[in-house]
Amino acid sequence: MMKAVLVVHGGAWAIPDVLAEASVAGVKAAARAGSVILRRGGSALDAVEVAVRMMEDNVVFDAGHGAVLNTDGEVELDAIIMEGKTLGAGAVSSVRNIANPVSLARAVMEKTEHIMLTGRGANLFAESIGVPTVPTQALVTEEERKEWQHYKKYAVGVKELFNSQCGHDTVGAVALDAFGNVACATSTGGIRNKMVGRVGDSPFIGSGGYADNTSGAVSCTGHGESILKVTLARLILFHMEQGKSACEAADCSLQYMAERVQGGGGAIVVSPTGDWSAAFTTERMAWAACKGESLHYGLNPKEMFEETLN
Amino acid sequence: MLPVVVVHGGAGHVPKERAEISIAGMREAARMGYAILKSGGSAMDAVVETVAMLENNPAFNAGRGSVLNLKGEVEMDALVMDGRTLACGAVSAVRRVANPIHLARLVMDKTSHVCLTAEGASQFARAMGIPEVPEESLITEYARKRWKDNLHKDANPVECQIGKMGTVGAVAVDVQGNIACATSTGGMINKMEGRVGDTPCIGCGGYADNQIGAVSPTGHGEAIMKIALSRLILFHMEQGKSPKEASDMALAYMKERVSGLGGVVVVDPKGTWAARFSSQQMPWAAAQQEQLHYGMFHGEDFTEPV
Repeated sequence: MMKAVLVVHGGAWAIPDVLAEASVAGVKAAARAGSVILRRGGSALDAVEVAVRMMEDNVVFDAGHGAVLNTDGEVELDAIIMEGKTLGAGAVSSVRNIANPVSLARAVMEKTEHIMLTGRGANLFAESIGVPTVPTQALVTEEERKEWQHYKKYAVGVKELFNSQCGHDTVGAVALDAFGNVACATSTGGIRNKMVGRVGDSPFIGSGGYADNTSGAVSCTGHGESILKVTLARLILFHMEQGKSACEAADCSLQYMAERVQGGGGAIVVSPTGDWSAAFTTERMAWAACKGESLHYGLNPKEMFEETLN
Repeated sequence: MLPVVVVHGGAGHVPKERAEISIAGMREAARMGYAILKSGGSAMDAVVETVAMLENNPAFNAGRGSVLNLKGEVEMDALVMDGRTLACGAVSAVRRVANPIHLARLVMDKTSHVCLTAEGASQFARAMGIPEVPEESLITEYARKRWKDNLHKDANPVECQIGKMGTVGAVAVDVQGNIACATSTGGMINKMEGRVGDTPCIGCGGYADNQIGAVSPTGHGEAIMKIALSRLILFHMEQGKSPKEASDMALAYMKERVSGLGGVVVVDPKGTWAARFSSQQMPWAAAQQEQLHYGMFHGEDFTEPV
């Protein structure tokens, strides 16, 4: 039996102090929830879905509940899930008013012959399998509504907004289960005041996430357009195929992204042997990892705390 | 060796009665792309205008001539990428525009985003002054007939693709050594509403990097996505493989690992090109050094002066 591993992130950006504690608590709780699945002999796929759902339900993160509003004041969500045994994948982009986009992505993978559904088509599919639509008010916090009104007054470019303290966080998870299967999941509400229909990296296979039993699993976060340009998730795994460790592969890929397209971001990685990493070039990224009896977590660069599970 | 342009008209099985118009469309498009490059135009201009021409040609599954979704509607995907800056633009599930590839380029040039989808893409098109065309103008009789045929009994949308895929794409290197790719498609026949295939997905439906080369693929979209085909081929080229070797390796891997068939056109920065496919056929054409190459079956490489 392999030692199962689960790593989660709550988004790479300049997380303000006021959100720091809640972000760390959120990723720790999600990591614990996912690791319970793995320790019961559950699959990596189930574990990443549970961990991401938990963060989607947590208003501190920009995914599901707590999502940001687009220029029209609506919520549009993106998510992907992928399993490394068969390379099966499911994704939704620009789906409106769904509490748990990651589970809808999984339904796309398991109940259709497609990988990705977008816009109204994704909502029609949700309806057809009985996934309820929730009112916008239920997904958006009072603070987000205020922030949105504030920023609506200014024409702020997405990049400026991203690089400022005001908000972008994606959530994600990667896991290796006892059977040697890896999986990844990523979910996001995107960037505040994004154009209607803007799709970032999250739902795109190879960018927002990738999982392959022969090389490992990755979930990405950060400036979506930059991640897309370098297909960050697949790039990290390519470096691992070339013999780099999870840590080296994530670091050199993020470095490349910073140099080539001036983008900041973060990634969590797990290899088929249980080697894992949580790396970022932004100011902060809340992350947590469970392996064996240990829970590791951190928020600032080079920070790693450890506590015992249970 | 520069400039060079290579185009494809979709991997699959081309019915006999459509073979000739497919090849004619390829040759015409490659000539046009080559003319742009010869007159000093950029690789980006060449691939976009070549693909736009193929979108306007009803023989292909892109723009006019697109296949229909389950509801009998047209939803299109397109991607462009500029190898110099890695800038890219994509639209997914967009409706009622004649040339999705032009819209994808506008996403790249005029927004800070990479991909716009569905109704948001239409809103952007309106804001850019791109005319909305009636859906009927995109639908050919052939597309409607195939849609009806495939609605029958247990018609399997994947198997139905064997009829004709017809995604279109182009890769080019200009005299400055800049590289670009463009891909456009109506997707797979009788797909669910909102289904997005590989085409608008960076690294799957295309990739371009001045340091390595460019790829535009076609074939079973879900399989192409699972292995991120375009980026995979370029990874192999980074490891020293030629465009032909890299394409064959990646297409063989796709067949083995996810049982998917497809095809690709590829260029490297020196102008070495390849048009390879694991499907029965793929109409393609390439223009380089005043020569036009084209073919559709395995092993074919006809040449004539441009």
